[in-house]
Amino acid sequence: MARGEALLELRSLTITASVADRQLLLLRDVELEVRAGEVVGVVGESGSGKTTLARSVVGLLERNVQVATGRIELVGEVLVGPGTDLTHTARGRSVGMVFQDASRSLNPLMRVRRHLSEVLERHVDGIGRDEVRARSTEVLRRMRIDDPDRVLDSYPHQLSGGLRQRVAIALAVVTNPALVIADECTTALDVTTQAEVVALFRELVDELHIGLLFVTHDLMLASDLCDRIAVMSQGEVVEVGPTDQVLRHPTVDYTRRLLAAVPHWTEGASATHA
Amino acid sequence: MSRVLVRKGLRHLGAALITLWLAVTMAFALGRLSGDPTSNILGPMATPEQRDALQAQLGLDQSLVVQYLDYLKGIVTLDFGTSLQFYQPNLDMILDRLPFTLQLVGAGMAIAVAIGVPLGVLAATREGTWWDRTASALALLGQSVPVFWLGMMLILLFAVRLGWLPAGQSGSWQHLVLPAVTMSLYPMAHVARLTRASMSEVLREPYIDSARARGLRVRSVVWRHGFGNASAPVLTIVVLQAGALLSGAVAVEYVYSWPGLGQLALQAIQFRDFPLVQAIVVFGAITFVVLNQLVDMLHVAIDPRLR
Ligand SMILES: Nc1ncnc2c1ncn2[C@@H]1O[C@H](COP(=O)(O)OP(=O)(O)OP(=O)(O)O)[C@@H](O)[C@H]1O
Ligand SMILES: [Mg+2]
Repeated sequence: MARGEALLELRSLTITASVADRQLLLLRDVELEVRAGEVVGVVGESGSGKTTLARSVVGLLERNVQVATGRIELVGEVLVGPGTDLTHTARGRSVGMVFQDASRSLNPLMRVRRHLSEVLERHVDGIGRDEVRARSTEVLRRMRIDDPDRVLDSYPHQLSGGLRQRVAIALAVVTNPALVIADECTTALDVTTQAEVVALFRELVDELHIGLLFVTHDLMLASDLCDRIAVMSQGEVVEVGPTDQVLRHPTVDYTRRLLAAVPHWTEGASATHA
Repeated sequence: MSRVLVRKGLRHLGAALITLWLAVTMAFALGRLSGDPTSNILGPMATPEQRDALQAQLGLDQSLVVQYLDYLKGIVTLDFGTSLQFYQPNLDMILDRLPFTLQLVGAGMAIAVAIGVPLGVLAATREGTWWDRTASALALLGQSVPVFWLGMMLILLFAVRLGWLPAGQSGSWQHLVLPAVTMSLYPMAHVARLTRASMSEVLREPYIDSARARGLRVRSVVWRHGFGNASAPVLTIVVLQAGALLSGAVAVEYVYSWPGLGQLALQAIQFRDFPLVQAIVVFGAITFVVLNQLVDMLHVAIDPRLR
């Protein structure tokens, strides 16, 4: 995938939820794109629709939630649009997802090896045993795991939180997807591990030229990692642009208020991070 | 690691033996509480001499402590006494009847699982829909139908009216169908309800969402990741209920004249054949304790977190 090419395009995406007999607006007319080799941060206060946005791309909206209008295209394939089904084949193949509670996103009854072989066998046609082995080891190495064999033979509960998080990321990228979505995937980690995961993501994006949609409510983290930032409020993207610009010269009050709520946030701090 | 496992195993075994001892003692106490068996056996016209003779023969003239110790010694040496009405060793009779009961319980539980589990899974994956409500209503109904009534109805329909299947006794697979179906209904409903409850909890786990996000087939998500994690309580109920039915399938065996343990227990009770009743209760207790151990072992085999 060439750098700079638009991978993911959300066009006037409107998503509603049916509650009792009312329709709630979860997303309104969202426009967003993620290019290859780019990290796009999605920030905003709790309830602003970040998770809804992330989940709509992998077709994991809850049963009472539906796409009312708009379209989602991934590498030219229409995932969501008129006449398409929400359960598409891109899931796991061209888009991988890492969830908030990554340490609970592994099946406790299955070894790491089985997790990886399961997803490889599902998405790589005609893959053989040896290749599954090789790619499993390789992807863990890429996650900076020193002893991949031990990790492969472990059950999730035998691993530390940081390792489980890396395994969850490995599962999202092992099929070489064009796009990865991470929804608050560092929230449950301690600061050191958080920094390691962020560095890892940056490396993956730079080396593999994947696109990363990074959902977080942590503006510091976003300023560290993201190339561009989209600010969400009440289901709308109210501001989007290069990280530096959005965080140093916000154009809407909402962003200013978000920034003001971050302790120790100063113009200087954002400048050194950018 | 293995040290821990051994210690755990020993503690389990100890607990099992204590449970067993309590059950065995309870069986003894119940046998003694149910009155003097000699008057029931000999009838009201018996002379005191006759009664004394029988009491001596049964060891009832000894003190309770001696009787109890004799009784424990018998169990340890696998001597379960002799039946008062059949004049045969109780153990032999139990072992004669056991294959029939095993057949019945095996077939009944197989039907219960084969229908109950998919029904529960279906309801859980379609929680809140028409499917779910129908399956749940059926399960509730299934748990409240009396076995006697169901057996009668099935006999009337399939044996009397349609003439497709025999109404009772044993000998061929056709004989097994109606009793097995009758027996399966209650556990089937129980299994369905439990599967639904356990599944609907598991389906909310983050690892289910992430399995879906990885694009796995619905089948794999629901069964491997979902039911795999929801199966433990279902397994427990299936094994323990099978255990309870081994010596407790009285109604089904009675309705269908099925020559199993339940039937034998019924005869024993009717005749106040207390050595036989005791033997059957002890057998049931042993089965229960053994199956409990089996369940624990199965859980450990399934879930690596318990190792
Ligand atoms: N299935 C649903 N039915 C009804 N309302 C929903 C549903 N899912 C989400 N919402 C509502 O939509 C809004 C956006 O939720 P969403 O989870 O996308 O927010 P978020 O930005 O991810 O918040 P957080 O930072 O707390 O994770 C919230 O007000 C939420 O209550
Ligand atoms: Mg969220």
